[in-house]
Amino acid sequence: MRAFDWALLLLLAAFAAVFPFLVDAYWLHVMIVAMMFAIMAASWALLAGYAGQFSFGHMGFVAVGGYTAGILATAAGVPLPLGMLAGVVASALAGVLIGWTCLRMSGPYLAIFTMAFSEVLRITVVTEVEVTGGAGGMTVPQLFHAATDFPYYYLILALLIVSVGGMMLVVASRWGLFFRAIRENEQAAAAAGVKVTRFRIIAFALTSSIAGLAGAFYAPYIGILTPDVASQDQMGLVVAMAIVGGMESLPGAVAGAIAVEFMVEALRSYGEWRLVLFGALLLVTMRFARNGLITPAWLRFRGFASPRAAQLAKEGVR
Amino acid sequence: MLDYLLAQTVNGLVIGVLFALIATGLTIIFSILKVVNFAHGELYMMGGYFAYYVISWFALPPLPAVLAAMAISFAFAVMVERGLLTPLYSPTIERKADYGILITFGLSVFLRNIAIILFGPFPLRPPSFFAGDLVVGGVIVSYDRLVAAGVGLLLLGGLIFFLNRTVWGQALNAVSQSRESASIIGINSQRIYMLAFGLGGALAGGAGALIAPIYSLSPSMGLVPDTQAFVIVILGGLGSVSGTIISALLLGVAQNLFIAFLPDPSRGPSYANAFGLGIMMLVLLFRPTGIFGRQHVAMD
Repeated sequence: MRAFDWALLLLLAAFAAVFPFLVDAYWLHVMIVAMMFAIMAASWALLAGYAGQFSFGHMGFVAVGGYTAGILATAAGVPLPLGMLAGVVASALAGVLIGWTCLRMSGPYLAIFTMAFSEVLRITVVTEVEVTGGAGGMTVPQLFHAATDFPYYYLILALLIVSVGGMMLVVASRWGLFFRAIRENEQAAAAAGVKVTRFRIIAFALTSSIAGLAGAFYAPYIGILTPDVASQDQMGLVVAMAIVGGMESLPGAVAGAIAVEFMVEALRSYGEWRLVLFGALLLVTMRFARNGLITPAWLRFRGFASPRAAQLAKEGVR
Repeated sequence: MLDYLLAQTVNGLVIGVLFALIATGLTIIFSILKVVNFAHGELYMMGGYFAYYVISWFALPPLPAVLAAMAISFAFAVMVERGLLTPLYSPTIERKADYGILITFGLSVFLRNIAIILFGPFPLRPPSFFAGDLVVGGVIVSYDRLVAAGVGLLLLGGLIFFLNRTVWGQALNAVSQSRESASIIGINSQRIYMLAFGLGGALAGGAGALIAPIYSLSPSMGLVPDTQAFVIVILGGLGSVSGTIISALLLGVAQNLFIAFLPDPSRGPSYANAFGLGIMMLVLLFRPTGIFGRQHVAMD
């Protein structure tokens, strides 16, 4: 990182710190939701983009985190922060379990298996009305008793920075190398000494605990938890966010999530056209710009400052 | 009770035939294009709407409308294949399986939501094939279901004839075994890809058109068959048409009997889909090639 990057990062941090004072309550809410989606999209990008594990069950882990927190806080009377922590732990355990059971699967088999996991979970939540509130949803107590959403904003900002920062450290470390080796060729990676089993499970556990974290935040913030969190349309939205941002770049996925969520809100008056638009955006991006829209644009912008980045932008990011 | 079980079995067989139409299309697409079509349930949904609009705009009788819907679905699927799936055959694209998953998943989100705008969110119902019910003893089955199952069986029979007894079917089989060898003996693989995806779309669309008078049409009607078709093809073994048909019938009956035998009747229908998905997860874990799977079409 050079001075230019540091300056930009500092500017971004300053902007994030004062953001709540610049906008009204509505756009603050949009930003909070966008950052929540950013956590989901970035963790999915790590799992699918870096580790090559195509999971369509990511929103299932979000639901595990959310419902664990919600049920513990309402039915069992556990203090909410403790319940949220339990939600993260539960989704991490679910991630280990799913990661372990589908060790032998790859590609479409894994995608179908994880989609089935998410669907079974969603159906169970819809049906077990006594425990989960069913399709009507479950009311979750508030985390903060403040007049504004400021505490939620700073909490999710902190969670976003910690989780995405942590994932970026992992990606930059030897582990990130192992993940990419497994993605490119499992046998070759194993032959080179990568413990494939261990790192596939780690990838699932890490990303699903972060998805669960987003879910555990979602439940008390929105206040009502419905099985729709685990629906295929929500999964599609998160996938679109990660792909628009660039699947192999965690900051790209964050930027993609925030950009898409703000577009969703800006287009609110167009109602049902929005999901059509994002389906189309997903199709066009995949068809014509597989590196995403935001990452290449960013590299081109950086090209003004660094010839090396310009070169990368020309060749395309791998 | 016995009548109820019999009725459930008959209903299961009817649904099984329709599921077989959807799932054989999925399996043909997989064995030729090596892509799992996550938008298959949406092709089924579009087929249902094509039939509805053919009937209401051109006043076609319901049965010819099914054939018309299949033809339109075929053309629509070929357009989708040409527009979105050609990168799958290009040598420069890396990780083709991932591309196939994401592009068809994106397509399913797109079609489901554009259907809400084009066709409206409210359920639509085309006219019956034949009104009324067949009553045998204590078992009541509507004629619509019988017609749907009968036409479905005819289509499946036609499909098996096409695959085994025609040059095109043999060409499809050749490409599914080896793309390189097939092109060496002069099979134009691009045409075969179009044919396979079009055929899959036509079969799914036909199922949608047949089911339309039984259940209503809605933009999200593809969601359940989408996952159920995965269950069936995994059970039957990806790439095996006869295995797919058998497991579709088995699943249709098993799910309906599951509903009948579950002690809590209010939960039966909603857990029926989870039941199928649970079986599929077990098959994926313990016998990934399915019950009738062919080794050579397994995903590499």
